[in-house]
Amino acid sequence: MTRKTDKTGSWWGDFHIENEKNIEWRIGPLKLIVRRLNNEWHIAHEPINDLDNDDFFWGKKDTDQLPDSLNNNSRYVFRDTTGQLSITPQLADRPIISRPLTPFNLMAGEEVTLYVSTSLWLEVATGSSPKKILQSIAIQRLSDTWFGPSTLEGELCYASTTHCRLNYEDLPQRAHRAITPVLIRNHTNTTLLLERLNLPTPLLALYVSSSEQLWTPQVTLTREKDGDMAELKIDNQPPSVAEQMQQLNEARNKVDNGVLFRAFNTIFS
Amino acid sequence: MNEFWIDIANFLSSEKIWGLTRAIILVVVGAVTAKLASSTLTKVAGKKIDSHRSMLLKRGTYYLIFILFLISALRELGFNLSVLLGAAGVFTVAIGFASQTSASNLISGLFLVAERPFTVGDIIRIGTTTGEVLSIDLLSVKLRTFDNLFVRLPNESLIKSEVTTLTRFPIRRLDIMVGVAYKEDLKNVRTVLDEVASKNPLCLEEPKPLYIFQGFGESSLDIQYSVWAKRENFLNLKNSMHEEIKNAFDECNIEIPFPHRTLYTGSATEPFPVQTVPNK
Repeated sequence: MTRKTDKTGSWWGDFHIENEKNIEWRIGPLKLIVRRLNNEWHIAHEPINDLDNDDFFWGKKDTDQLPDSLNNNSRYVFRDTTGQLSITPQLADRPIISRPLTPFNLMAGEEVTLYVSTSLWLEVATGSSPKKILQSIAIQRLSDTWFGPSTLEGELCYASTTHCRLNYEDLPQRAHRAITPVLIRNHTNTTLLLERLNLPTPLLALYVSSSEQLWTPQVTLTREKDGDMAELKIDNQPPSVAEQMQQLNEARNKVDNGVLFRAFNTIFS
Repeated sequence: MNEFWIDIANFLSSEKIWGLTRAIILVVVGAVTAKLASSTLTKVAGKKIDSHRSMLLKRGTYYLIFILFLISALRELGFNLSVLLGAAGVFTVAIGFASQTSASNLISGLFLVAERPFTVGDIIRIGTTTGEVLSIDLLSVKLRTFDNLFVRLPNESLIKSEVTTLTRFPIRRLDIMVGVAYKEDLKNVRTVLDEVASKNPLCLEEPKPLYIFQGFGESSLDIQYSVWAKRENFLNLKNSMHEEIKNAFDECNIEIPFPHRTLYTGSATEPFPVQTVPNK
C-alpha cells in the first residue's frame, strides 16, 4: 500500500479513485473514508477526538480500513461508477453564533472589524455535469443554539466553538474553517454592547486565497440611528485582506442586492 | 290500445314533463357548476390557506351552489317553497333535539377551525392520549398515536378539555430530575452537569441550561436540571443526556442514591441483634 500524506495543496477538488480502492481523508477533526466498487460508492466518517494542537493538519492516503468499520457509513448504488469524485467545502446551512472572548461595548459613532472563523461542511459528489451529490458532512459537529428575543421568536443556529477576534493575527489558521471579516458600525447615539453575533453563513459565498486559507466576503452590520433595525450588507467580492482570491462555492441562499434589513435583536445580543 | 298511446302522447306534451326535464337539467347543471366553482375556488385560494380550511371551503361552496340549484329545480316541479321551508324549519327543530351531540360537535368543530389551536400534522396531547393529528373534521379530530392506533376524539371534548400542542414552537425544554447523595459537593455537581450539557451537540447553548435545587429529599439532594433542544431532537436529547449524566457522575464518583431506610427501635429497646452467616 502506498501511503501518502499531503500537507500542502488543498483537501477539496476532483479526485480519481480506482475500483476497489479506499481513500482516507483527515480534515481537522474529521476522518472520512471513501470506497469505490464496480457499482457503488461507500462513504463513511467519524470524528477524531484525540486531536493534538496542530489541527490545521489535513491528509489524504490510501487505506485498507473498510468504511464499514466506522459508525456513520452509507452506500450509494449506481449502474456503474466512473471513479470521479469531487469534494467541495461548504459553509454551514444555518447561521452561526459566535462570541467575543469577553463582551465589549462599541461606542456611539464608532466602527470595528471582527474576524469570525466558522467550521465548514464538505459535499461529496460523483460524476461530471451534472454532478450527483452523495452526501454533505459537517467537518465538526457544532452544537445547536437558539438566537432570538424569546423562546417563541428566533431561529435555530449553530454555536461556534471559537471566539470572534478583533485582530486577524489572533485567529488560528485552520484548513477546515473559513474566516469572515465582519464590520460593525454603530450609527446611534448609544453604546452597543456586543455579547453574541449572528453570522448569516447560508448567505455567504466561499473563496480561497493563494495560501489555501478559506474566506467569505465581508459582512457589514450597521445599527441605524432610529428604530430597532440593523442593515446587513454582504459584499459580492472577496475580502481585501488576502490576495488572489478564487471563488470556490456560491452562497446556499442568494440575496438579491446583498442588503438586508433585520430587527436589531436578530443580529446582536 | 290507442288510448294508451294517446295518454302517453298527452303526458309527453304536457307541462309536467317539461317541468321535470327542466328540473333534471337544473340539478345536473347545478352539480357540475358547483363542482367546477368549488374546485376553482380551492385552487385559487389553495396556497394561502391550509389543507383543512381549503377542504371546508370546497365543501361549503359545493353545497351552497348545489342547494340553490336544487331549490330552483323543486320550484320547476311545482313545489310551494314557502310551505317546504316551513316544514323544513319544524323538521330542523326536531332533528336538532334528536341530534344534540352531533350538533354540539359540529359547532365545536367550527370553533376549532376558527381558533386553530393545532393543524393537521401537529402532535397533540389530550389527557393521556398523545398522537399526530390526521384530520380535523366537522364532528371529530382523528389522531394516530405513537403505538399506531387510530383515535377519534369528538370535537366537543376537545373544546372542553386541555389540549397541549407539542409541535407549536421550534424548541422544547427537557426537565431532568436527578438526586445526589447528601455528602456530595453541589458546586461540583453543577459543574459536571454543565459540562455534560455543553458537550452534547443536541443541547442548545442558548437558552442556557437551568439549574434548580429542588430541596432536601428523603434520601437525596434533589436537583432539577433543564436543557433545551430542537423539537425534533427532544427524544434523542432525553436519552443521551440521562446516559451521559449517569456516566459523568460515575466518572466523578458522584453518588446517585437510592432510598435508604434506617430502622430504629427507640431508646427504650435493645439494639437489633445482628448475626453474620458465613458463605456456603
